[in-house]
Amino acid sequence: MTTRTLPLHARSWLIGMREAIPLLGGYIPVAISFGLVSIQAGFTTWEATLISLLIYAGASQFLFIGMAAAGAPLWLLIAMTLLINVRHMVYGPNLAPWLTTSRWWPLLMHGLTDQVFALAHTRMPQLEASQRLGWYTGAALLAWAAWVAGTALGAVAGDWLMAQWPLLGEIMPFALPALFLVLVMPRFTSPRWTLALLLTIAIAMACTLNGLTNLGIPLAAACGALCFYLVKLNQQPGGGSHE
Amino acid sequence: MSDTLWLAVLACAIGTYLIRLLPLLWMRRRLKRLDGNDSVEAMPQWLSILGPMMIAALFGVSLVPRQPDTTAWLATLLGVIATLIVWYRLRSLGWPIIAGVGTYGSVILLMDMLQG
Repeated sequence: MTTRTLPLHARSWLIGMREAIPLLGGYIPVAISFGLVSIQAGFTTWEATLISLLIYAGASQFLFIGMAAAGAPLWLLIAMTLLINVRHMVYGPNLAPWLTTSRWWPLLMHGLTDQVFALAHTRMPQLEASQRLGWYTGAALLAWAAWVAGTALGAVAGDWLMAQWPLLGEIMPFALPALFLVLVMPRFTSPRWTLALLLTIAIAMACTLNGLTNLGIPLAAACGALCFYLVKLNQQPGGGSHE
Repeated sequence: MSDTLWLAVLACAIGTYLIRLLPLLWMRRRLKRLDGNDSVEAMPQWLSILGPMMIAALFGVSLVPRQPDTTAWLATLLGVIATLIVWYRLRSLGWPIIAGVGTYGSVILLMDMLQG
């Protein structure tokens, strides 16, 4: 059956799922690693899977498992996990202008990860209003399901998988930078944006190389935004739109 | 897993969900207050600039290989070039990523074979 013969909402779901497929290249290997690390840290398959189902935030889950296994105080465990996820605060408001009045949107925010946000921020404005809920639901549910299933797979057979296909776990995650690159390219619309975006990318890379991945995302984005404002001040004080 | 650790899981799950949800609800109320007219303009400018910057930052973070040796950097560079070329030609979402991953994987495999 082709997508053309399906009702509109089903078609939107399928388009969302299809466009979220590149996310899986990054999600599944990392989820498998999470499952494996959880088992090694003394958690059961069910526990690891439930953590992925409920918390659903990659980097902070690794931190949670690591700190729990090390016997860290619970308040510190919760505080650090939430601190890593604070960057997600920017995502919802950036999507808000494109959301319809459906009451499902608040519930669907559970699926608003870094990658789903990046995809939605680019695609939602291009979609018809009637397609957006279906598109987002399809994309977000596929990503969530892949993360949870990947965790379970990693917990059950992570050792075996890593031994069988050691390179696959190394190659597939490149889907994420490739996806982000495709999503960020249309933003290079002027010298001002180009400078700010390149600075953001450089700072994010420098932070990661120095072991500050989680801090790197908000820090680099804030520096890029600051650069965007400073360049405006130098060019034409008090005027012009943000092109 | 102990009961207290389960409580910590629940606290992190609810906290993370609220971090994703509450700012959206705030923005929706703001948009409603502004009567929905030209909703993109209704967004604070710093917030609309921060969105693309977050995507650029995610790109920068994900670009660094987990084992940053010469092979991984070379594969990353060629993978990025392949992604860009296909994106410039097709302006689509899927094919540039397939080209990027294919090129990245080919370089890794080739270097692996060469290094024995």
